[in-house]
Amino acid sequence: MKNSNKLISVLVPVASVLLAFAIGCAVMAGLGANPLVALQSLWTGAFGNLRNVGTTLARATPLIFTGLCACFAYRCGVFNLGGEGQFIIGSVACCYMATQTGIEGFPAIVLCLLAGILAGGIWALIPGLLKVYRGQNEMIISIMLNYVATLFMGVVYTNWLREGSVPQTMSVPDTTKLSRIFGLRATTAFIIAIVVGLLIYYFLFYTSKGFQLRAVGLNMTAAEFNGFSVKRYILFSFVVSGAIAGLGGSAELLGTQYRLINGFAAGYGFDGVAMALIAQLHPLATILVAIFFAALRVGSTTMQAATGVPTSVSDIIQALVIVFTVAGLAMVKLSQFKAAIDRIFARKETVAS
Amino acid sequence: MDAFLRMEHVSKRFGDFYANRDINFSVRRGEVHTLLGENGAGKSTLMNVLIGLYQPTEGTIYLDGKKVRIDSPAQAVKLGIGMVHQHFMLVEAMTVFENIILGDRNTRGIFIDREARTKEIQALSARYGLEVELDKPITEISVGAQQRVEILKALYRGAELLILDEPSAALTDLEVEGLFDIMRKLTGEGKSIIFISHKMREVLRISDRITILRAGRTVCTVDRTETNGEELANLMIGRELAPSHYEKITEPGEPVVSLEKVDYHKESKHNGLCGVSLSVGRREIVGIAGVDGNGQSQLAQVVTGVLTPDAGEVDLKGSRVAQFTPNGFILESVSHIPEDRNKMGLIGDMSVKENIVLKSTDTPQFSSARGFHLKKRAIRDYAEQMREKYDIRCTSVEQEARNLSGGNQQKVILARELEGQPDLLVAVHPTRGLDIGATRFVHDTMIDAREKGCGVLLISADFDEILEVSDRIVVMFEGQVMGVFSGKEPPIQEISLAMAGK
Repeated sequence: MKNSNKLISVLVPVASVLLAFAIGCAVMAGLGANPLVALQSLWTGAFGNLRNVGTTLARATPLIFTGLCACFAYRCGVFNLGGEGQFIIGSVACCYMATQTGIEGFPAIVLCLLAGILAGGIWALIPGLLKVYRGQNEMIISIMLNYVATLFMGVVYTNWLREGSVPQTMSVPDTTKLSRIFGLRATTAFIIAIVVGLLIYYFLFYTSKGFQLRAVGLNMTAAEFNGFSVKRYILFSFVVSGAIAGLGGSAELLGTQYRLINGFAAGYGFDGVAMALIAQLHPLATILVAIFFAALRVGSTTMQAATGVPTSVSDIIQALVIVFTVAGLAMVKLSQFKAAIDRIFARKETVAS
Repeated sequence: MDAFLRMEHVSKRFGDFYANRDINFSVRRGEVHTLLGENGAGKSTLMNVLIGLYQPTEGTIYLDGKKVRIDSPAQAVKLGIGMVHQHFMLVEAMTVFENIILGDRNTRGIFIDREARTKEIQALSARYGLEVELDKPITEISVGAQQRVEILKALYRGAELLILDEPSAALTDLEVEGLFDIMRKLTGEGKSIIFISHKMREVLRISDRITILRAGRTVCTVDRTETNGEELANLMIGRELAPSHYEKITEPGEPVVSLEKVDYHKESKHNGLCGVSLSVGRREIVGIAGVDGNGQSQLAQVVTGVLTPDAGEVDLKGSRVAQFTPNGFILESVSHIPEDRNKMGLIGDMSVKENIVLKSTDTPQFSSARGFHLKKRAIRDYAEQMREKYDIRCTSVEQEARNLSGGNQQKVILARELEGQPDLLVAVHPTRGLDIGATRFVHDTMIDAREKGCGVLLISADFDEILEVSDRIVVMFEGQVMGVFSGKEPPIQEISLAMAGK
């Protein structure tokens, strides 16, 4: 039973990806392109050479952060849909640190990242507190705070930290930028993202507190009856989740964008939620899924240039992967489906014996 | 008089368990027929068969002399069977009128002929004295009025036979009088009523005949005029007392927990405590007897720190409890077998192994560096040991707890709760839904704990269980302690009367 469960949790996303690509190919064929050629150029664009790999990883980095942010909160049974807002608030705090305090170099990097972590954590504390002490719905509050954060960032780059007459902040000093890996587009931000993913994985599955946090997420009542402080875990998971997003925002600012500008981080929050769901809340799987989605996005530009298949076909594939996985995971929970699977396994066993 | 409804040799089996076995039951036109029985006696199952939610495993149902098959609730409605559930099935945001016509299949076209419908409903309402305000939303009317809406809804759909499931549970005394008037009017017009209740007084007042169920079987059907409360209580609990397997202790040790005039939501008759004083000593099993929903759940949650009492004192091992938190009680070696093992006891999606060590992953036995690294190996080995010791039948300790049978789930909880040698064990319905073997195992384990010096507070709706293991029996009724009896040669008669609130 256990093994078949694990198998299914891997099979569903894989099957979803294949199915999404199959439909994507049909669309490509309908547009008059050769799907095989298009797919090949998609691959080349994403992973064809070291430079492209670097670009893909750079694109994946913010998605990994927001994905881990969603993943961590969901593990504790709370739905933090505010990853985007926490990401933005983190980057705003980071931007202030980097451009206004006059510190530069490595200490500045550390301080900037810490500022992002802190700001993201505090931003996430708001829905956390409202949920725990006022029973408010954390999803709605955290979503609404995304708009607040986006507009707040707007004030920052159009007024307070505006550079001259252009609606954007000034750039982060060169010495405070995160260094690139082998001169590629990917920076140490990617390394930080991987480390965070590994830390979360370790925390959730190898520490006592992580174990208790998962227990709270799976059954709050039983966790309470068994003496865990449910409220504290909920607050904790919100703050950590926000801190991860905040760190992601800072790393994105220092590594890729260098300045706040209209459209910074747009869509990252919900992308992160989708990554976490497809990865079924496994932190390491979240990293892989984020890289996969980044590859589709980066590769699609090459595909468009080479074969004329518009990048929106890649968007279709991404959307279908999400739809199929979520639907597939819901389907395997149905009792009829479970019964059918059990029958198949039972038959195999009888054949084997 | 011939019977309107006849159920003959009806059985309903779930797996190997018979919830109903060879039930014979009939209801005449114009009578109030009461179904009486303890929790788990099979009343709900039988009614669910009647309204088409369950299909009987065996047996036949006759309605008006004709054999019928009721394969859906819609079919039951068509046959004229209406049920008023204990927890009302009303759409709260809608008005009374909308609720009554909801789901009516005779709608012609897409528009609702409001006027005609209103007239129909008003006629019904006047005929049976079911006063309701049609335009009010459900949220704005009293519980008694909501019940009238439910009855009206059933009548509007043409019910000839009404099932009222614990209709008086949520009502005030005055509202109960009103309900009884309505019931009499209904039967006066030839409708039949199946009345389900625990309350002896009410049963004796309103019933024409009474059928007693016990352990899934019909015990007998008696005429109201030929019986009395005592006889009914005895029939319901019904026992030639089998001698207990266990030796009873008459001199317990010093108290582990004692409650002094504890109140919790005292105005609530069914979910509160009112001036409860009792104590559990070391080496003693105190059984709380009583019909479910007389404050037992709240008692269990107070003595495990889940609920904070409104008034009164709780002493744990001689010192007063200042703050009620589950963790505080766990640190004082209080163990808890909660009433709902899936909801409160186990993390169903976690493995057997993880559930066994749920409370103790912070200890050096299972993690190093103050919880920063789990000793997975030690956890696994320990779980294997417990699996052996408590005879937990699972494919492996990695199996998810939700996939275990009820008995084995309970053993997982026992392994977790009893292995640390607790000072107090609070066990709520510890054998509910378990087969005989597993039940025996749980009882043996509790006696074992007692022998090791643990005080046990056993709360159970199963009177047999209480008699079997308790050294002292405390009866609760409507949140109050009705009496304390010796567990050695217990006075069954007195206890059953106390359980009925006398």
